[in-house]
Amino acid sequence: MTDTIDDTPKTPTRWETIQPWVGLACRLGLAAVLITAAVTKYPPALSIQAVEAYDLFPTEVARLIGYTLPLFELALALLLLLGLATRYAGAIGAILMVAFIAGIVSAMVRGLSIDCGCFGGGGQVDPGETTYGLSIARDIAFGAMGAFIAIWPRSPFALDRVLGLYR
Amino acid sequence: MGSEARKRSREKLKEQREKEKRAARRKKNLLVVGIAAAVVLLIVGIGYAVMTSGEDEGYDGELAAQVLQEDGSVVMADEGVSAPVVEVYADYQCPACRQFELLNGDLLKARAASGEAIVQFRPVSIFAQQPTPISGNSLRGGAAARAAADHGVFVEYNDLLFENQPAEGREGFTVDELKEWFRQTDADEAQASEFDERVDAEAEVVTEFTEEFLPALTADATEQIGEETLGTMVLTDLLAWGADNGHDPAFLDGTYTGEIIDATGTAYTRYSGDNMFRGTPAVYINGELLDNNSAMTARGLSEAIASAGAGEVETEPAADGGDAE
Repeated sequence: MTDTIDDTPKTPTRWETIQPWVGLACRLGLAAVLITAAVTKYPPALSIQAVEAYDLFPTEVARLIGYTLPLFELALALLLLLGLATRYAGAIGAILMVAFIAGIVSAMVRGLSIDCGCFGGGGQVDPGETTYGLSIARDIAFGAMGAFIAIWPRSPFALDRVLGLYR
Repeated sequence: MGSEARKRSREKLKEQREKEKRAARRKKNLLVVGIAAAVVLLIVGIGYAVMTSGEDEGYDGELAAQVLQEDGSVVMADEGVSAPVVEVYADYQCPACRQFELLNGDLLKARAASGEAIVQFRPVSIFAQQPTPISGNSLRGGAAARAAADHGVFVEYNDLLFENQPAEGREGFTVDELKEWFRQTDADEAQASEFDERVDAEAEVVTEFTEEFLPALTADATEQIGEETLGTMVLTDLLAWGADNGHDPAFLDGTYTGEIIDATGTAYTRYSGDNMFRGTPAVYINGELLDNNSAMTARGLSEAIASAGAGEVETEPAADGGDAE
């Protein structure tokens, strides 16, 4: 009976109406991107090759990344689809994109001419055919989606709501 | 006074409730994050276990016999074995070939040793026309592997080359390295000195080819037949054109460098339709090209071999048992 003050229904602002739907769009969009990225990296032998092309990790580490990165992308996509731990999934998605950008920039700076291997492919390409700028721009966009979710995790059709979070 | 005390106690109660609410939310948050982390770990863990199952059986046993063929390829199979023929085309500078070797090299050895497969290694150089050092690495590696085949240690040497593959665009497979790796096989000193001689000679041929002969030939051909037509020609066609147009490729005759260039040309013209040789690694079972999902996964290759019938090796063993000169 004392809680009535807190529960007074307010007319939601425009932002409060739109934000959950934008959040849902970001969740679905980022999940779609991650699933595509994971699926196109199969078979793992080729994804290992794409990692090795960055020339950043010893053989064994590159192998581990080649196998587990696509799986991690899939898992993250699943969390976003379900809306489970939405805020953290979004944040990790954004951090992942920052890591990818760092990798691409390092390849660029060292004068490598490789395909980023973001969506399958990977390995050496002709120096005139690198698309570092495009890859980075893409990752910034994906990272922004993750950041949006992390900042405003409230969205419909999310397990989090069922569990009582971000209502 | 009474109302003041009541107000204070009500505030205290409210504060208390807020605190409890926050604690509950924190607990809920932690729980949800825990569930999410478990989901991620489960997917990554199970996925990794499933994908790597059946590929970690390293093979340290006895190798099947290695027989050098007339065309410079090497057949790994014991005599009289009837099994599917698995042909592996690879370039020593090609990163995907390295991945194939790291992933499925031991599986092929095991299948050959057990008589379940006849494995034919067909080294090629699809990178011979790339800029140096890519072209030089590719050709030097191929020629050295062929020299190792003369001494019956091709398979071991093939492994060493892929393990030590230089990053693309980086200088590698130096003459000194190539000689040192040969000494890591069971070859004896006499064989080693023969091998050294051969590798030295081949390295000179490779240098002449990649740094003088091919650039001059390419420049001429570009001028006379145009870049577009040139782009559709395989290296052996270009060499044939050069032979008629003042670029005598005779210095390649009898060299392993020349042999690997020929083998590459043959690969490009040998198959048609869906089986067309387009690049490396290319794995054929009884003449049928495997797709990436079969060739580049342990389970895929294993199943493809198991489900294929017996095949015929199409080449003849080298007449002198390997000591080609």
